Amino acid sequence: MSDTSHSPEHTLHPLKKIEIIVKGKRERFVQELLDRSGVSGYTIHRNVAGRGASGFHEGHLLFNDEASLVMFFAVSDQSKIQAIINGLSPLFESSSGVMFVSDTQVVRLKKFLGAEGPQHGGA
Amino acid sequence: MPTDLSVLRARVENAAKVLGRCWPLQSYIAANPLAGLEKLPFDEAVAQGEVLYKGRGYPNVAQLRAAWETGEIDAAHLADRLDAHGLTDAPAQLLDQMETAAETPVPNRSGDGPLNRAMAKWLAAFVDQGQATWAMPHRHEGFYTAWRAVARFDTTLAHRDRLRDLPKRPLEALALALSDVEAAQWETTLRYHMAALPGWASFIKWRSQDRHDAWQGAHPITMTGYLAARLHTARAIGQPVAPANLFDEARGATRNGRDQPPMAAPWLEAWEATYREQLLATLERAAPAVDTTGVAGRPKAQLVFCIDVRSEVIRRHLEQTGPYQTFGYAGFFGLPMQFQPYGSDAQITSCPPIVDPKHRIHETRSRTREETAATHDRWVALGQAGQRLIKSLKHNVAAAFGFVEASGGLFGMAMAVRTLMPGWLRTQQQAWTQHVPSPDTFCDLSLDRALAADQPEGLPLGLSTEERSYYAEAAFRLMGWQQFAPVVVFTGHASHTANNPYNSSLDCGACAGHPGGPNARTLAAVCNDPAVREDLSARGIDIPDDTVFLAAEHTTSTDVVQLFHPPALTKAQAGIVDQLRQDLRTARANTTAERARVLQGSRPAHAVADTERRAADWAETRPEWGLSGNAAFIIAPRALTAGLSLDGRAFLHAYNWRTDDRGTALETIMTGPLVVGEWINMQYYFSTVDNAVYGSGSKITQNVVGNVGVWQGNGGDLMTGLPLQSLQVDDLTPYHHPLRLLAVVYAPQGRVSRIVERNAQLRSLFDHEWMALTVLDPEQGNRRCSYQPGGTWAIPSAEPRGTQDTEPTLAL
Repeated sequence: MSDTSHSPEHTLHPLKKIEIIVKGKRERFVQELLDRSGVSGYTIHRNVAGRGASGFHEGHLLFNDEASLVMFFAVSDQSKIQAIINGLSPLFESSSGVMFVSDTQVVRLKKFLGAEGPQHGGA
Repeated sequence: MPTDLSVLRARVENAAKVLGRCWPLQSYIAANPLAGLEKLPFDEAVAQGEVLYKGRGYPNVAQLRAAWETGEIDAAHLADRLDAHGLTDAPAQLLDQMETAAETPVPNRSGDGPLNRAMAKWLAAFVDQGQATWAMPHRHEGFYTAWRAVARFDTTLAHRDRLRDLPKRPLEALALALSDVEAAQWETTLRYHMAALPGWASFIKWRSQDRHDAWQGAHPITMTGYLAARLHTARAIGQPVAPANLFDEARGATRNGRDQPPMAAPWLEAWEATYREQLLATLERAAPAVDTTGVAGRPKAQLVFCIDVRSEVIRRHLEQTGPYQTFGYAGFFGLPMQFQPYGSDAQITSCPPIVDPKHRIHETRSRTREETAATHDRWVALGQAGQRLIKSLKHNVAAAFGFVEASGGLFGMAMAVRTLMPGWLRTQQQAWTQHVPSPDTFCDLSLDRALAADQPEGLPLGLSTEERSYYAEAAFRLMGWQQFAPVVVFTGHASHTANNPYNSSLDCGACAGHPGGPNARTLAAVCNDPAVREDLSARGIDIPDDTVFLAAEHTTSTDVVQLFHPPALTKAQAGIVDQLRQDLRTARANTTAERARVLQGSRPAHAVADTERRAADWAETRPEWGLSGNAAFIIAPRALTAGLSLDGRAFLHAYNWRTDDRGTALETIMTGPLVVGEWINMQYYFSTVDNAVYGSGSKITQNVVGNVGVWQGNGGDLMTGLPLQSLQVDDLTPYHHPLRLLAVVYAPQGRVSRIVERNAQLRSLFDHEWMALTVLDPEQGNRRCSYQPGGTWAIPSAEPRGTQDTEPTLAL
């Protein structure tokens, strides 16, 4: 554990961060995966621009909400991030998109550990 | 979630990629049935369509022979394309060879008939939107749960005891059903089951992804739930979940389904080249006069129509009647909104399928016109009470017999009148409805933001001043507006037809298959707002004080253009509006006369009466041709096309390259309306080349199911495309020419190049030949530059036709 602070209020706890970039039409799939994975929260950036294997994607289009990219951030422990990776890997076999996993640190550990167990429901 | 379940969930998502989306009848969206395969080159995608859906992807030999014999396929273009494909036989021989090859029977889908029948039955019961008198139980718990509760009592399932102890959750149930299938084969198996009933599966795909559908909110259905039910039904019938021939078919799919390139491809290309060459040559001749063509001085009125191909005809005829200027703009007028009509709880999404609605607009009664509203309410309540009474008498077990005895004669007479005198009936109906004030005469639109009226799950009600100014500015910038007439009319469109489940397919596609009037009224009200005008003035768009904005709706079946209740007008404006009403009547007469030439059984001299009859006749299978014939999308100032007859085959979007240095407006047009145009074009294309698979067959044998779609006869797949009568003159004679869309842009080629380069979706559509792109470059003497797959441009020289494909290309 890498404690870089002398004050207990500022103790840093190691966690994993996942960043996911997919086409706008996959937003719902990824969001549901994150909801079911047990992470306590996530951030969504819509209308993301950038270049990937299929070329450049313009960010904000006035009359097209489907063509742009969407980016997700989530921070949690290794097991929940691993569950997200498992649920996303098959998608990237045939859909464009990327994910990055990195080490990160947080102060308020409880805030990021979220639900005990993963969820799986549906209609 | 256990790993295998999360992987399975991703496999379902992957397998569903091959499907397009199918919207319900109330908001029929013309979409490419092979939308799920659009990332592939056109030829590969149609080959996969042959494997997955047994659908033909090129025009059939009868269609090609007809086009060849009538000269729609030019001999020089055909020779050129045959040569490019390495075919050396004479055209007549090639047609005969195709005819012989077509006699080989197409294999039917493997024997899962009972499974398809069972699933169609349960799906129809579940998704019912008010057609059934007795609803399926447990629908609020979702499809899988509702099916699980009742399917075990289905006596048509020989092994229904296998359905007794299924898992409660659909994903676990699906995993259980796949327990005997290797994980590596899951996706292929799931894709096979989706493609078995592609119409229903496409409908589920749409509904499960739609955030705003009230029926999905009340009765949720997911692809996982459907597949779990389907695979367990297969087991209950005694069928294998993964049929033995499944993986052979999958191998076929990876081989593109056939060993030989399609013989029809060069014929299609030649057919397209013939049309495109004629169109482009005409536009090239008109281009030098772009800056001088049009109304001299300030026009009396300006009318903005939808880009729809049907607008081209009436715009042309209206312009001939007086000093009017017309524009083409996406028929939702740039307003991504839901509309709630007066007296209704329904929230109608009124924007294109690729745009998410962002605002709610309500029609609310005005305090200053209470008396008119009361009159309207009284008549409507009377009509509704009568309908309720008749329905309850018909459906009540005890009353039904007596009701039939007592009212049979009356209903018989009504039927005779509707059948024999539909035109007279319409006249009577119109006379009657004149007594009932329409909501626009006593309602206001809820433009003001009302925080208190916002709902937690709903969209914000109204528009802030900033938002209003934004949408108004977008409209004028996209169309390259330069001066304002005293009267500006935003003209939406709708179609009036009788007994037509496909009515919404004739309404405005940019409004998600709904009438465009509400959007037109909203934008007119926005532009009449003094605060908006002040904002626009600060941004360099000066709207004169004597300019008023009105709204109207063009009824495409009769070509009536009806103005909505106007705001207060000055004397001068009122005079212009009176004259405009007269000129719209003249334009209507001329437009219907032009349309009568191609509507079988119609005579130009009686065209107005004939279109009225068609709109009211419950036995009429072809009230209008809709967007049949569409083949081009022209992004240019009206001056380029004014005076040309484009035969109602071209979408027209106004654009002024001089007022759009950065290309922002053009990028919006190309990534929005043009993409929607491609959807519509592909719907018409595939519905024509294989009406049984990608269309919906004859209207005569269709039945509406659950108020969501149609099927043929009394069961089977949901039919997703257009009916035969919307595309063909008769069983053998096509009306719609199945040509892929040509986009023509009047702008500097470098600007267009940059836009294509930075929008992957556009580039994919052009590179994979789902549509074509040609630029007329005003900075290079209106030179024609044609985009080539891969990102280069072909520039024809002055050589004779037939050599243009060998021109040098420019790097992007």
